Amino acid sequence: MHQRPPIWRNVAVLKWLAQFAVLFTVLGLFWLLASEAQENLQRRGIPAGYNWLSGPANFQLGEGIQTVDSPERRLTMSRALWVGMVNTLRVAAIGIVLSTILGVFIGVSRLSKNFIANRFASAFVETMRNIPLLVQILFWFVILGSLAPLAADSGPIPGWLIVSQKGISIPRVFLADGFYQFVAMLVVFAVPLWFIRRTLKRRQDDLGGNQRVTSTTVAYLSVSTLVAWFLNPVMGFLGGVLDSVATAWNAIPAQIIRGLFGVLIIWFAGARIRSLLNSRRTPVGFAKLTDNDWFQMLFTAFAAGVAALVVVRFRPGITTWFVESVGNFWSFLGAKFGDGRGAQPIDAMLPTLTEGRFINISNTGLTMSVFFASLLFGLVFYTSSYIAEVVRGGILAVPRGQSEAALALGFTRGQMLRKVVLPQAFRVIMPPLGNQYLNITKNTSLGIAVGFSEIVQVGQTVYNKNSQTLAVFSIYIAFFLLCSLSISAVVNTINRRLAIVER
Amino acid sequence: MTTVINANVSSQKSWFKWVRDNLFSSVAGTIQTFAFAALVVVVLRWLLGVAFAEKNDWTAVATNMRLLVSYNYPLSQFIRIWVAAGVLLVCAAASLGAWRFDPALTVKRMARTFYSVAVVAALCALLMPSSAPGVLVRTLWLVSTVLAIAGFAASAVASKRNNLTVSFGALLTSSVVGLLAILWFVPFGNYGVVGGSPFANPGDTVARSTKEPWTVIFTLVLFTFWASRALGTKTVAIVRSALLAFWLVGPAFLIFVVLRDPAFDWQRVWAVDVPLAAGFAFGGGLLVYLLAKPTRSSLARLVGVALSAFAILNWVAGFFGWYGMLQKVRISMLLLAILVLILPAFAGSQSKRLRIAVAWGGFILVLHWLITAINTPSTLVISAPPFLGGFTLTFAISYYVVLASFPLGVLLALARTSDLPLFRMMSTAYIEVFRGVPLITILFLFTVMLPLFLPRGMAVSDLAAVFAGYSIFSAAYLAENVRGGLQSVRQGQYEAANALGLTVFQRTLLIVLPQGLRVSIPNLVGQGIATLKETSLIAIIGGFDLLRIANSTIPNQPQFLGQKRPGLLFIAMVYFILAYTMSKSSQRLERRLDAGRM
Amino acid sequence: MSSTKPNDNTGQSPRRNMITCRGVKKWFGDFQALKGVDLDVGEQEVVVVLGPSGSGKSTLIRCINRLEVHQEGIIEVDGVELTNDLRNIEKIRSEVGMVFQLFNLFPHLSVLDNITLGPIWVRKKARVEAEKTAMELLERVGIPEQAAKFPGQLSGGQQQRVAIARALAMEPKIMLFDEPTSALDPEMIAEVLDVMRDLARRGMTMVIVTHEMGFAREVADRLVFMESGEIVEVGTTEQFFSAPREERTKKFLSQIL
Repeated sequence: MHQRPPIWRNVAVLKWLAQFAVLFTVLGLFWLLASEAQENLQRRGIPAGYNWLSGPANFQLGEGIQTVDSPERRLTMSRALWVGMVNTLRVAAIGIVLSTILGVFIGVSRLSKNFIANRFASAFVETMRNIPLLVQILFWFVILGSLAPLAADSGPIPGWLIVSQKGISIPRVFLADGFYQFVAMLVVFAVPLWFIRRTLKRRQDDLGGNQRVTSTTVAYLSVSTLVAWFLNPVMGFLGGVLDSVATAWNAIPAQIIRGLFGVLIIWFAGARIRSLLNSRRTPVGFAKLTDNDWFQMLFTAFAAGVAALVVVRFRPGITTWFVESVGNFWSFLGAKFGDGRGAQPIDAMLPTLTEGRFINISNTGLTMSVFFASLLFGLVFYTSSYIAEVVRGGILAVPRGQSEAALALGFTRGQMLRKVVLPQAFRVIMPPLGNQYLNITKNTSLGIAVGFSEIVQVGQTVYNKNSQTLAVFSIYIAFFLLCSLSISAVVNTINRRLAIVER
Repeated sequence: MTTVINANVSSQKSWFKWVRDNLFSSVAGTIQTFAFAALVVVVLRWLLGVAFAEKNDWTAVATNMRLLVSYNYPLSQFIRIWVAAGVLLVCAAASLGAWRFDPALTVKRMARTFYSVAVVAALCALLMPSSAPGVLVRTLWLVSTVLAIAGFAASAVASKRNNLTVSFGALLTSSVVGLLAILWFVPFGNYGVVGGSPFANPGDTVARSTKEPWTVIFTLVLFTFWASRALGTKTVAIVRSALLAFWLVGPAFLIFVVLRDPAFDWQRVWAVDVPLAAGFAFGGGLLVYLLAKPTRSSLARLVGVALSAFAILNWVAGFFGWYGMLQKVRISMLLLAILVLILPAFAGSQSKRLRIAVAWGGFILVLHWLITAINTPSTLVISAPPFLGGFTLTFAISYYVVLASFPLGVLLALARTSDLPLFRMMSTAYIEVFRGVPLITILFLFTVMLPLFLPRGMAVSDLAAVFAGYSIFSAAYLAENVRGGLQSVRQGQYEAANALGLTVFQRTLLIVLPQGLRVSIPNLVGQGIATLKETSLIAIIGGFDLLRIANSTIPNQPQFLGQKRPGLLFIAMVYFILAYTMSKSSQRLERRLDAGRM
Repeated sequence: MSSTKPNDNTGQSPRRNMITCRGVKKWFGDFQALKGVDLDVGEQEVVVVLGPSGSGKSTLIRCINRLEVHQEGIIEVDGVELTNDLRNIEKIRSEVGMVFQLFNLFPHLSVLDNITLGPIWVRKKARVEAEKTAMELLERVGIPEQAAKFPGQLSGGQQQRVAIARALAMEPKIMLFDEPTSALDPEMIAEVLDVMRDLARRGMTMVIVTHEMGFAREVADRLVFMESGEIVEVGTTEQFFSAPREERTKKFLSQIL
């Protein structure tokens, strides 16, 4: 008497059929476009793949970690792209810090009762966010371009700060030879600290009073930093250890790793299916599986099978690449420790000028080119107006009763903000703030308009040279997706922390 | 008499109290006041210095106003641009009137605005660098004085009648009249280019070729506003739907008016285009009419599936070159197939079926006219290859990007909130990838790569590629904004719709979208502003938009070599005014929606 | 057909069966909401379902309308079995009217549009005809003057009456009520109950989940008592209130009366 509907009228089946139809149409469309592109590339004689990355760059970059060919190290295409990425991240990181500071200041000012303060903040926000970022960047470029030409006594504090048409230079603080040993030693010292803190905290819980947890920690840390600063060459032996780790890793046959990958994928799919089945298990017995459940399990199994086949059988290169890069990573670390060299972990240099026919800023100081500066200024002013709004919204989201309660307890306005309102507002602020950080990272790509060598500009130079557009665009997408994923990972972690703290 | 004096005394007292409470409430507050006042002075002084430095030549902007508006558009055909702008403004005014846009503006608030502007003008006049033209400083003082008096008068009136308001119509009328008076009587100077050589008449009012069209347009604007305000309830409904239709398709026509005057090959038009259009309009209409009967819904689904299979086959065949077919036949066939597929949801009575059929016919006729017009060479010969630029380009691109990304974004949002996992996954992947990468890479991707992806013999212009890429990019952001709205639709709404027996399609169209979109309107306006601002990226790709003209075209002219500052400041102001007005009105809309929420 | 077979557990119903449930089971993840429910509802019969909260009453009537999908067992409505069949779902939904606890009126449509939506889009009626019926229904529930208003402008009781009119506009064979008065202020409950009483008098087949004992006693032909996903007791109104058979029923009645 129980009748099953015919397949072509079964809603569960039809839903999945429709989904698969659309999925395969999209995949098919992609495949069509890709094959068309490949054919076009072949016709133009452009080789597929990424082999060109190790070729010479044949161009020079405006600025970055290493921009010119030197006898010992030729600028390759991959190196050039890497320089671009570092430049992007550099602007993004500085921009994030500065615009957060400025944004919080403006946002809080906008809530101020002081008439001039909040009017000024409002005017700032409205002006900055209603004028396109690109216009602002170009405006700064024009302004900075009309600064005074470089001279021996350029800048407000000659010898320390140079401000000129050619750029802005400040003293440089950099990681010197001993840095890695220094960090390794600090890690070693951190282990006893952990035990000490645990003991002290227990004593605090048991005995009460002040067991000086914080002051002990600070004292311990400063002593160990001092010791590590001078004794770090001791850690040089790590170089040898890391080298042997690299050798050991490289000795593992790639087949084993490949097999492991396959097993991992299958295990993962199995775990998903199991958790689904578990969720249908009841004390009374097994719940009836719906058609939807069956489809989900089948789909998981199918996807896992395809992935495993791809990794193990069709694209063995993925594993090889993984094995090689992990091996390279160990050797890279080993080389950093090297032969027990090391001395000062951190060093500093003052900005200087090069002598010669044309006066120039030499790279002893930390120099910000006009290109870099105009991009940075544009980004900071533009984004801080959005951050100000985020901060303001977050503070307004804290119920009024909270601040009234704090004032009733006799807190000053500043104390109330710091101790009561801001910690609560932080949870509201964090997600949109992360979004703004992401925007800064993406907007660094506008540096191309002023000729700053960030990743998009370098990439464009590359594909103008060798027509490898497809490959360069895949690098763009991978890079920016990686950035956005890491930023959202950080934001999510902080959010989770805050949520737990609250409980 | 005594009451007036009392009012004055109390207002003076309150004024004094206000200063004390808001500026000098405590030691810290006083320090804050002085610090921010210093900051204001420094920033303003610096900005004015930048704007009116000795080497800045503001005639660079005045002379090149035509470039900034529409780039190299031929002077003899300029009437087309005026017509387009005029129709847009008149329709905007008609919309304001028809939707009874009447925000109450209190006189008190007006007085405050007058005072603030007066203070700012006076500050600017004080801090003006010595290189600034004296007439500018004098004008600023004049404006400041006049506004201060106006503000005083307004607040005096407001203190007598507290809630006195000025209607939007009165405000519009007085500002339009004021603008026209300024246009005709204030000697801004007359700058321009005639036959390649610039001229400058500093003492004149602006050129007649500017004054006259604006006068006509503004008069019409006023007229339509008041006329549409006066419409009765019955007619206003019709006018409203006509205006909605205009905002959807009108700008497409205007672009044609501006861009081309198609030279139709009438023989071919009568032999091919007209029969095709008529065939699709009447044949399709008949088919739709027949299939829209409720009893024939299974038949309609069957026909729909068959038609879509055929339509898709046409595209695949076109891609591989199996057999040729006019593109518009492919497009119309696909549209017809989609319509027939969703027809069962619209099935109904005789009159309803007839309406659907007629709508289809009208739609197809318009579509065919557009396609034919695009494919016909234009008689309008425009000198330089970038036929259009300046503000017109900026406006057109942002308008069309918003329009084109809307349906795609809504579809993506629906897919992302649907309970079908694969749809959700696909839409999430699309949205996250496009939101993860910067717009400029997408624009490069489309301008550089689109030719690679297309089959041999197919080509698109750079501008079309930019438009396509921008729309696809923008759809991802739009989807997220719409998703927020869709999530605010409560579960009970879905259940109620299901309980009535609505199909999923009907539920989405009639229940979920109207509620979800309403909630997301403020965010959508925000996205519109972002789109407008980001059209400036076209300058990097090589389009002659506002930014490109200000930043490279004008500074490359021999007589204005290197004059970037005035142009950049000018377009910054243009962007600011547009974006600021939009964001303010969106805030007002948000407040109204909030108030009207159930 | 199974629908005419008399059933001891559910109490015999002399009339043709409109709803037949046999061994209906439903899980939410690992929580079993229905543990094998058997129930028959005859034509023109009014059945009131009672039980503590979380006992599966709402789930049961939502399964009858397929707002929830049962996983085991059979539900037949008017002789049509509820399955994944594309053809059956919408048909059954349009023949079964449902009134919700929170009214679920469409806030963006006027009262009149709320009521005519189903007839126009599902029943494919002409607008004029649908509006005429809608006005008659509004007359019947006593608020014809509110036709042009929006749901947000009405009181809770008025909204629920509009919701009933909306369901009736589809000319359903069965009406399901899911705690229709729970979200209402006491003074508005009566006006909704009046409308429901009138419906019962006109011979509508109804399944009502409610806590209004007096109302249940007055209109119900049979009462069903559910607890933790099972039907504990079914009986005529007389027998149910005066001589409940099961211990759990007695306990429940003593708590609630």
